[in-house]
Amino acid sequence: MLQGELYTELKDVFPESQMEVKENEGHPLGNGGKVAVYPKTENEISHILQYANKNGKTVSIVGGGTKRGFGGLIDSADILLSLANLKGIVEHTVGDMTLTVKAGTPFQELQQYLEEHNQKISLDPAWPDYATIGGIIAANESGPKRLAYGSARDAVIGLRVVYPNGKVIRTGGKVVKNVAGYDMNKLFVGSMGTLGVLTEITLKLRPLPKYESNVLLSFTEGDFAEMRSFAAAFLDSQMEPVSLELISPSLAEKLTGEKFYTLAISFEDNESSVHYQESFLKSIQPPKTKMTILAQEKARKFWQSFYTISPNGRVSNQTGETEAVLKIGVVNLDVLKVIRESHLLQDTHNLLIEAHGGLGHGLCQIVLRGGSENVISAIQHLRNFVKQLNGYAVIKHLPFILRQKIEVWGENPPYFFLFKGIKTKIDPNNILNPKRFVGGI
Amino acid sequence: MSLKGIRTNDKHIKNLANIVEGNRSILYKKEDLLAYDCDGFTIYRHLPRAVVFPNNTEEVAKIVKYCHEHDLPFLARGAGTGLSGGAIPLNGEVIISLVKMKRLISVDFENRRAVVEPGFVNLKLTNSISDKGYYYAPDPSSQYCCTIGGNVGENAGGAHCLKYGVTTNHILGLEVVLPNGEVIEIGKDGIPDAPGYDLLGLLTGSEGTLGIVTKITVRILKNPEAKQTVLAYFDNVADGSQAVSDIISAGIVPAALEMMDQIAIEAVEAAAFPVGHPKDIEALLLIEVDGISAGIDEQIHQILEVCKRNHVREVKVAQSEEERARWWANRKTGFGAMGAISPDYLVQDGVIPRSKLPEVLNRIHEISREYGLRIANIFHAGDGNLHPLVLFDARKPGETEKALKAGSACLQACADAGGSITGEHGVGIEKREEMRFIFSDEEIAAQTDIREVFNPKNLLNAGKLFPTPGRCLEVKKEGKSVTAS
Amino acid sequence: MGLNESDLIKEPACQTNSFSNYLWSDPPDENKWADCVHCGMCLESCPTYEITGQEQHSPRGRVHLIKSVAEGKLEVNEHFMDPVFACLDCRACTTACPADVDVGGLIEEARGQIRQAMPLKGWKKAVSHLFLHSLFPHHNRLYTLGNVLKLYQKSGMQTFVRKTGLINIIPQHLAEMEAIMPEVKKPVRKKYKHEKVIKAKGETKSTVAFLTGCVMDVMFSEINEATINVLTRNGNDVMIPQNQTCCGALHVHAGDREMGRKLAKQNIEAFQHAEKVIVNSAGCGCMLKEYPELFREDPVWRQKAETFSKKVEDISKYLYDTGYKRPIAEIKARVVYHDACHLAHGQGIRDEPRSLLLDIPGVEMVEMANADRCCGSAGIYNITNPEMAKEVLDSKMKNVPKEAEMIVMGNPGCMLQMAMGVQKNGRNQKIVHTVQLLDWAYQKEDRLKEGEECL
Repeated sequence: MLQGELYTELKDVFPESQMEVKENEGHPLGNGGKVAVYPKTENEISHILQYANKNGKTVSIVGGGTKRGFGGLIDSADILLSLANLKGIVEHTVGDMTLTVKAGTPFQELQQYLEEHNQKISLDPAWPDYATIGGIIAANESGPKRLAYGSARDAVIGLRVVYPNGKVIRTGGKVVKNVAGYDMNKLFVGSMGTLGVLTEITLKLRPLPKYESNVLLSFTEGDFAEMRSFAAAFLDSQMEPVSLELISPSLAEKLTGEKFYTLAISFEDNESSVHYQESFLKSIQPPKTKMTILAQEKARKFWQSFYTISPNGRVSNQTGETEAVLKIGVVNLDVLKVIRESHLLQDTHNLLIEAHGGLGHGLCQIVLRGGSENVISAIQHLRNFVKQLNGYAVIKHLPFILRQKIEVWGENPPYFFLFKGIKTKIDPNNILNPKRFVGGI
Repeated sequence: MSLKGIRTNDKHIKNLANIVEGNRSILYKKEDLLAYDCDGFTIYRHLPRAVVFPNNTEEVAKIVKYCHEHDLPFLARGAGTGLSGGAIPLNGEVIISLVKMKRLISVDFENRRAVVEPGFVNLKLTNSISDKGYYYAPDPSSQYCCTIGGNVGENAGGAHCLKYGVTTNHILGLEVVLPNGEVIEIGKDGIPDAPGYDLLGLLTGSEGTLGIVTKITVRILKNPEAKQTVLAYFDNVADGSQAVSDIISAGIVPAALEMMDQIAIEAVEAAAFPVGHPKDIEALLLIEVDGISAGIDEQIHQILEVCKRNHVREVKVAQSEEERARWWANRKTGFGAMGAISPDYLVQDGVIPRSKLPEVLNRIHEISREYGLRIANIFHAGDGNLHPLVLFDARKPGETEKALKAGSACLQACADAGGSITGEHGVGIEKREEMRFIFSDEEIAAQTDIREVFNPKNLLNAGKLFPTPGRCLEVKKEGKSVTAS
Repeated sequence: MGLNESDLIKEPACQTNSFSNYLWSDPPDENKWADCVHCGMCLESCPTYEITGQEQHSPRGRVHLIKSVAEGKLEVNEHFMDPVFACLDCRACTTACPADVDVGGLIEEARGQIRQAMPLKGWKKAVSHLFLHSLFPHHNRLYTLGNVLKLYQKSGMQTFVRKTGLINIIPQHLAEMEAIMPEVKKPVRKKYKHEKVIKAKGETKSTVAFLTGCVMDVMFSEINEATINVLTRNGNDVMIPQNQTCCGALHVHAGDREMGRKLAKQNIEAFQHAEKVIVNSAGCGCMLKEYPELFREDPVWRQKAETFSKKVEDISKYLYDTGYKRPIAEIKARVVYHDACHLAHGQGIRDEPRSLLLDIPGVEMVEMANADRCCGSAGIYNITNPEMAKEVLDSKMKNVPKEAEMIVMGNPGCMLQMAMGVQKNGRNQKIVHTVQLLDWAYQKEDRLKEGEECL
C-alpha cells in the first residue's frame, strides 16, 4: 500500500495534526514506520490499534528512541506509534508512596518531580534524560543498583495496556501488594511492546536516601583471584551495598581516569550507616588496591556519567565505527569471568570494549566499538563463552543491517511454544512490533 | 508401588498407583480422602478421587500425562494451609501431593541462592542456612508448616514483605510440569532476566492453574546486622493509623509494620502465646526495623517520636531476642488463635492504599454491626494489607452465609477505596466472584486467555481464580451437598 | 470501638448430635474440636505426619475425621480406626496449636468409642489383655514377672537364648525389645513394704506421697530408689501408699477408658490423704493430672479427680520449685536431654529438668534438634504399631548427636525405646533418668566425704 493511502485512512480515525509522513526511511537502526503518529490520549491509541488490527497494518512503538537499536528485523512498519506526547503524572499519593504516570514521560522528569517529595523510583536505567518510563518497563531495564532495589519487574504494581484489538486492559492495581488473578504486570514488563501498548504505569516508590556515597576500589594489579575472594567476603558480610559493579579497565579510565579493574560499591542510607560501611570496607581492603570515596554530589555525578556510556539510539552514530551493546546474564560471581573475557577481546579483536557487571545480581553490559566484522565475531565469541557458564547474551544495540546477520536474542528456549502461544492469543494478527522479540515474535 | 492391598474397581487408581514408587503412595479410601476435602479454607469441601504422593519430577510428569490423556481433573497440593481454597478438589480431582518431594537440593552461599523441592517447608530453609547467617525472606504466618511450592503457587507474602518483597521477588528459577506432562525449566541456574516473556513472574501466584512446580531456585539473603522491634499501644485506631503513615513518610522502610485491633488482641491473649497486652486499647503496632547497626538507633528514635506525637499510651523496644520472639509468636499465630474466641472464622485479605486505613477500618466496623458478627483485624499496616477476621459459628443456621457476605462486603470496601481483593491469600474458590469488584469481564478474559495457552483442557485446578457464571454456582451447590450429606 | 460479644444476639448452638455415629457414652467432646480452624500449624509437629506425609495421619486430619463421625459422614470402622490408633498420643500438636486444641483428649475419647464398637481380636487382643488387664494393674504379678526376668537374666538363659537363636521365634520387634531389657532389681514397694514413712535425711521440711508406677517399679526400681534418695536428701518424708495401682495411662491410650476409670478411682482413694503426689514417670504424671477428663459424665468423681490432680507433680518440677541441694561432686558427662512427650507437651515441663542437670558440676549439655520430638515409645505403641514406632525412632536417633555420652529423660517408656535406638544404631550411649544423674552426684559426694575417693 502506498504511504498516501495509509495516511488518508488514518486521518479518519486520528487527528491529522498529530501525524507525520516519514519520507526518508531507512534509518540505520531500523524500527521505523511509514507514517508516524503522536497520540496524546489512550483513546487515540486505541483507535489507531483498532484500525491497524482490522486492516492488517503493522505498528512499531517508540518512546524516547534510546532503544531503537534493540531487536527488530523490520526496517519500517506501516505505523510508527510514538508515545512522546503521552506525558505527565496521573496520580501521586505521597503518603502511599505510589505514582501513576503516562508511559511517554521521560524518566529524569519523574525523578526530579519526586525529589521534591523526598521520594524516588528505585531504578537506574541508562540515558534517564531521554528514556521514557514506558520504554524502560517494556525492556525491563535495570542498572547497577538492581542489587538492592530490583529491576523494573519489581517496581511496577499496575499497568494500563491497549491491546491490539483496541481494548484497554488494566493489570495489577494501585496497591503495593496484590495477588488478585495472574500477575499480568509481569507479562508486559520486558515484552518489548509485542503484546500491547503501555499507556499508564503505576510504580511503587522509595524514600530518597538521606546520604549516599560511592566507593571506588581499583585493583591496580588486576589480580582476579583477589577480586573474587574480596567480593565473596564482602557479600558474605552484613553490609548492605546498593551496587557492587565491576568495571573493566577501559571503562574505568573513561569514568575515573585510571585504567584498572574497579569495583563501584555504593551505599545509600543515613549518614552514620554509610560511614560505618565505608570503614568496614577500609578494614577489609585488599593489598595492592586503591580506594576512593565519592560522597553525595560526587557519587551522583559519577553515576550520571555512568548512565551515558552506552550508545543512545536516538542520536545518530557519526564515528563510522560499528557500535554494539550486549546484555549478558550469568550466575553472580561468573560476572568476573565475563568482564575479564570482554577485556581480553579488545586486543584479539581490535575493538574498544567497555564492560561492567554486577557481582551481586549477575547481569553485565558490554559496549563494543570497532569494525563491524570484529564486532560480530566478538559477540559470537562472548556468546559461546557465556553458554559454557549456562548464561545468555542478548544484543541490546546493533545497526539494523547487522541484526539480519546475527540472532539478537540467541537460541529459542525449549518452551518457546508458550511465548508463541501467548503472542498469538493476544495479538493474533501480529501487528505489534513484529519480529522485534525472541524467535521472531 | 505394588498393587498388593489396593482394593478398588477404579482402574485409574490402579494405574496411578503403578506410576509411583514406594509405600504410602496413594490414598483412595473415603476415610483417608476426607482429610483432603479442604485446605485452610473450610467452607467448601469436596472429596478428591485419589491422593498420589510422587517422589520426583518424573513421577509427577507421568501422573500429569496420565490425567491429561484420560481427561481426569487434577491439582497439586502442599501442606494445605492455603486460605482461599486453592487446593480443594471441587471437581473430584486427583490430588498430587508434593509433600514427599521435600529435599533441600543445594545451597550456594556465594551466589546467594538455594534450590529446593516444592514440598520443602518454608521455615526449614531459613533453619538450614541460619548457621551461616543467611535466611529466606518471605515469611507467611504459616511458615512453620507451609511449603515453598505452595508459596510459589500463591505468591505468598508475610509480615516482612514490606521491605523485602513477596515470593515473586525471591524466585530465580523454576522447574515446571506443564498440564500436558511436559517438563520445562525456566531461569536456568537462577540467572535473572532470561530472554522472552517473564514466565517466572506469570507462574508465581498462578494458584496452581498453569503448571506444577517441581524444583525452585530461590534467592537467600544475609541476616541484617541489627534488628530492633517496637511495640506500641494506642487508645484509638485513628492514632495508630496516623502513626503508620507518619513512619513511612519519615523515609523509614520498616522490615515489618503490623497492627492488631481490640478483638484480635482479645483472641491472641486468650490463646497459646499471650504477651500481656492491655485489653482496653484499640490498636497495637508491632514495628520492626533492621539494617546496619550504626544507623538503626536513629530510626528507632524517629519511630518513638512519631508514636509519641500520635498519643501513644505505651511504647517499648524489645529488650531481648526472647521478648522479640514472643511478640512475633503472638502475632503470627493470630489467625489460629481465633479458635480460642470463636468456633469458626473467615479471614479476608483486602489491600488498600495506606492513606485510606482509618476510612476503611470504619467501614469494616459498620459491616460488623450490619451483619451482627464480630470482626477482628490483624494486618500488615505498612503495605495496607488488611486481614478482617469474621467470627461466626457454623453450627448456627445461616451464619456461614452471613459471614461470607460480611467478608465479601469488606472486600467491596477495599475495592471501593482503590485497593485489591487479595494481597497474599489468593483468590482460590473464595474470592472468585469478588474478582469482579476490581476487573472487568474483558480483563478477566485476558487472564483466562493466558490460562488457555498453558492449560488448554482446563483439567488442572479448574474452577479456581476466575468467576465463571453459572458454573461456579453449580460447584458451590456441589460443595454444600457434600458438607451436608 | 469494636463490637463486643454482648452486643450480639445470642442464639443457642444447635445440636448436631442426632447425626452422630458415636453410639456409646463418653464420646469425643464437641467443644474440643470446635476450636480447630484447620490452619495446619500442627502438621510439622506430628511425628506420624512427618513419616507418612499423609493428612489422615496428621492432627488436624484426625480431628477432622473424629468430627466427621460425629456429623454422621463417617462410621466407626477399621478405616477410621487406622488413623486414630496410629496417633502416638504425644501431644506435640497441642503445643503447636495456636488455639490450644486438645487433640490428645479427642483421640483418647475416639479410641474409647472404637474399642467398644469393635473389640480387639487375635494376637493384638491377647497381648493387650495380657499387659493391660492381667499385668499392669497387679503389682504382685508384675513383681513375679520381674523375678522371672531376673532369673532369666541371671541364669545365663538370656545369653543362651540370644546365642542359640531361640530369640528368632519371638516376633522381631519384641525380640528387639528383649535385647534392651534393663537389669531387674528389687522394687521399692517390696523393699519399703513395712515402712510407713521413709524419713528425710536431716530435718523434715515436708511430706510427700510417691507413685511408684507399675512397670517402673519392676523394671526400673533403681530409678525409684534414686527418686526416694533425692527426695529424702532434700528434706522430704516419703510415703508409699500400698494400695496404689497402675495409673491407667496405657489403658486410656488403648481406648479402654472403663479400666482407666477403675484404676483412677483406686489411685484417687489411695492418695486421698497425701498433700503432694510425686511422680517420676512423665506418662503416669500426665495421666494423673488428666483424671478429671475420664469423669466428664460423673460430677461426683470429677470433683474428686480435680482435687487429686492438683496434688500431682513431676519430680523434676517439684525439686525445682521447692529447692534442692546443688551437688558438689563432679559428674563429668556430655549429655543430651530428650523431652518426654508427656512431660514437655503434656505437662509443659521443659526447663526444670534441664536446669537440674546443668546444676550438676561437670555436666555439659549438647543441643539436640527436635529434642521434644516423640521417640516412638508412646506407652505400648511400640508393641502395637511396631513399624511406625521404628520409623519415628529412626528419625529421633538421627538427631541424637554422636558426641553425647548419655541421653537423659524423665520417662521409663522413652528409656526403653531410646535404649533400643542406641543399640540398633550401634551407639554406646547410656540411657539415664534425670533424677538418677542427680542421685549419682549426691552419692559421689557422700563417698568423697567419707574419704573413699580422692578428688
